[in-house]
Amino acid sequence: MPYILNTQKDIKDILKCLGLSSIDGLFKRIPEQLKLKNSVNLLKGLSEFETKNVLMGLADKNISIDSCNSFLGAGCYDHYIPAALSYILSIPQFLTAYTPYQAECSQGILQAIYEYQTYICLLTGMDVSNASLFDGASALSEAVLMALRINKKNKILISQSVHPEYKETLKTYLSGLGFIIKEVGFNNQGIVDNQALFECLDDDVSCFAFQSPNFFGLIENVNELVHEVKGKCVIPIMATNPLSLSILKEPGALGVDIVCGDGQTLGGNLNYGGPSFGFIATGKKYIRQIPGRIVGATVDKEGKDAYCLTLQTREQHIRREKATSNICSNQSLNAIGAAVYLSLLGKEGLKDAALYSFSNAQYLYKRLKEVRGINVPFKPTIFNEFIWEVEDALIIIEKLYKRNIIPGYYLEDKFPKFKNCILSCCTEKKNKKDIDDFINAIAEVLHG
Amino acid sequence: MDRKTIFDKTADLRRSDYFSSPGVPLISPGDVLSPQFLRDDLFLPSLGELDVVRHYSNLAKLNFSVDTNFYPLGSCTMKYNPKINESMSSLEGFTSIHPYQREDMTQGALELLYDLEQKLCEITGMKRFTLQPSSGAQGELAGMLMIRKFHELMGNKKNKVIIPDSAHGTNPATASMCGYDTLVIDSNSQGLIDIEKLRSMVDDKVAAIMLTNPNTLGLFEENILEISNIIHNKGGLLYYDGANLNPLLGIVKPASMGFDVVHLNFHKTFSTPHGCGGPGAGVVGVGDILKDFLPVPLVNKKNDKFYLDYEIKNSIGKVRTFYGNFNVLVKAYTYILRLGRDGLLRVAQNSVLNSRYLKEKLKKYYELAYIKDCMHEVVFTCEKQKERGASALDISKRLIDFNIHPPTMYFPLIVKEALMIEPTETESKETLDNFIQIMIEINKEIDVSLEKLKNSPLTTILKRVDEVNVARNPKVRWIKDKKSI
Repeated sequence: MPYILNTQKDIKDILKCLGLSSIDGLFKRIPEQLKLKNSVNLLKGLSEFETKNVLMGLADKNISIDSCNSFLGAGCYDHYIPAALSYILSIPQFLTAYTPYQAECSQGILQAIYEYQTYICLLTGMDVSNASLFDGASALSEAVLMALRINKKNKILISQSVHPEYKETLKTYLSGLGFIIKEVGFNNQGIVDNQALFECLDDDVSCFAFQSPNFFGLIENVNELVHEVKGKCVIPIMATNPLSLSILKEPGALGVDIVCGDGQTLGGNLNYGGPSFGFIATGKKYIRQIPGRIVGATVDKEGKDAYCLTLQTREQHIRREKATSNICSNQSLNAIGAAVYLSLLGKEGLKDAALYSFSNAQYLYKRLKEVRGINVPFKPTIFNEFIWEVEDALIIIEKLYKRNIIPGYYLEDKFPKFKNCILSCCTEKKNKKDIDDFINAIAEVLHG
Repeated sequence: MDRKTIFDKTADLRRSDYFSSPGVPLISPGDVLSPQFLRDDLFLPSLGELDVVRHYSNLAKLNFSVDTNFYPLGSCTMKYNPKINESMSSLEGFTSIHPYQREDMTQGALELLYDLEQKLCEITGMKRFTLQPSSGAQGELAGMLMIRKFHELMGNKKNKVIIPDSAHGTNPATASMCGYDTLVIDSNSQGLIDIEKLRSMVDDKVAAIMLTNPNTLGLFEENILEISNIIHNKGGLLYYDGANLNPLLGIVKPASMGFDVVHLNFHKTFSTPHGCGGPGAGVVGVGDILKDFLPVPLVNKKNDKFYLDYEIKNSIGKVRTFYGNFNVLVKAYTYILRLGRDGLLRVAQNSVLNSRYLKEKLKKYYELAYIKDCMHEVVFTCEKQKERGASALDISKRLIDFNIHPPTMYFPLIVKEALMIEPTETESKETLDNFIQIMIEINKEIDVSLEKLKNSPLTTILKRVDEVNVARNPKVRWIKDKKSI
């Protein structure tokens, strides 16, 4: 029987020791009327070989993005992952360990998470990071809950240009709590409409959540936004792509109070969207309001450097209904993966990843703009993705698919304003030929 | 032992070359973006691949894990994580698909999700599942928000959730996040819910009861059908925290016990690795009355094609991006295929067999918190040991010297000096016998060499770690030349 080491003899011996004549005796406390007569109605177990065939069959029915010329991004990005990363994450003492509650036999995990926290602080320019959250959407939701705890007001402003699935998740997270969520629109540049924001800022507003680069790929005027909302004692919350922070101004230096986002860009596979991990970082004055686990540096009783989980009185296993969040398991392995990724790439490697992504996106932007029939509505104030518009976009997309090109994410479903608009992304995995092929294909599709 | 951080190991001129220039004109960000958008400098270490591999390989050596140690951590179900799960979830056809790819390009993934859902429905008796939640806690949030929305739509004015005093902390924390007040129901002298007390507590303001069964004392709530009647008669619903489903696989379906919502922890029951605390998956199943409240999207099938269905009438919306921790779902699916009906039953049988064996052999030396027959885990109280000078903490730390990960300690909160031991079905009788011997030996040590226990662990690179002072003056990140923020 797979994965069971007890032999029939072991089972017999243990039952004898328990004074039981059969294994069913183990379950005699369960009322008979609840019990199944003969397990569940599934097939018999498969051999490992048969199982593998089933799974490989299913995997083969998917078309890997690596076999297409894909420009999909929109919150999940196809970056190159060094081989050493998956190697390190498969080390048993990382892969098959639990949360490091027992510090003395978990020092490696604790140090790895402490280093992860440091990396997040370095990138964001903040003082404190937790050990990770689930994904960008839950991180934004937790950031908003944190702001509500800090200033105890009841209204949340969120920019319309935040990832639509983050906004939907936030609404779900808050749906039992009776707060008011209001969306702030974007202007004709595709970024937060300052005037609209200004008009929404009243005494009840707790926080303003925005994303930069936003869902349309555009970099927001973070400085202005922060200045404006802080003037009204509103907490600015910024969601961001951590990879972009290797070239873009760190939010900590711009006065942002809570920074959050999805860490998939730091060495995470696409994995059909999960798992990645969420990150959240803040200033030290809010350290006791941050949700989730935190690792701290300490000493052992002989004074040697050590690490342990700290500030646990914020957490559900101690504080129960008064906890800062219900989060227990997070996405540790992915967070450690991000630290490994940053260590492998190093300062220059990370800048290369960002710079190549940026340059590819700028090149695609310029080339698309030259194609007759294509409109690129906003300035290239972008990191790695942007919006473009073409008549009968769905038909064009269909034709490009036939040429094995995925042009990007079709926006109309989530943003009716952007009819016929496509969000295209470039990472460092794209090259000039991929982009030229795409441009040639679209020119042909449009003009024969 | 080298305890330098990765940041202390930087060698400035060393650089990686994982990818080459893409061939397009390289543009300096300053040429396109205004200087106010650009950062001045970023400190990150510069290291070679061997530096990094060695750093993490050495860190790994400092950890206990299921692959290297017996890990009887109660309520966490630290069973063996089969390696076929890992190799299947790493297939390129699963790792390199984008969530916004067209459905005709991801039919294999959608089929897997669809079939996994069918199997979970059969295992639990529930009608439909969302595979979206990333963990048990997020599953609880999704489940309780469905209950909330259900009551709202029915016009039920309910504001309370009942939770046993033995429950996991996530239960009351989730109830609060859903805007409910928590009412705590005490356990009786048998370690079970006090039915009479429950009856007196339940009124039509009670939205739900959140239960783990077997409970965190490892005991099966024998009166579950009566509990179900009491709650349902007042219009409340039953929430099942599936943390302890392992001993019921193939034995009892949660639906038969009257549960309306069920979350499962794939990183416990379905063998996906814990990864130092995630990623897991906390899928949620519901009965007929809550089907229309599930998060979007669900996977449905039409004309032999699988598709993502966003048309769910009363959906609570999304609880995270995309479709869940897909990679974790692939592992659990692999496991379920591999085990099948007989294998699942054997899991339940052997998980109970193993914990009952530990209980039987150790009860002479350590006092049982409750005398009743336990299921997959057993809870001892070390009060007597404490009187002799050694706390549950001392005993736990001493186990580390024998290469055994300590059990869950001081939980459930209603047991003083608790040690909660869950051996799981994948451990052998030899491993259990060895553990029993060590526990007996430690008990002896209390009288002959108490200092050893007090000073344990003795074999690790560090002695007992100070967890108190750090909370007063937290140092939570590395800073060049100093250790505090």
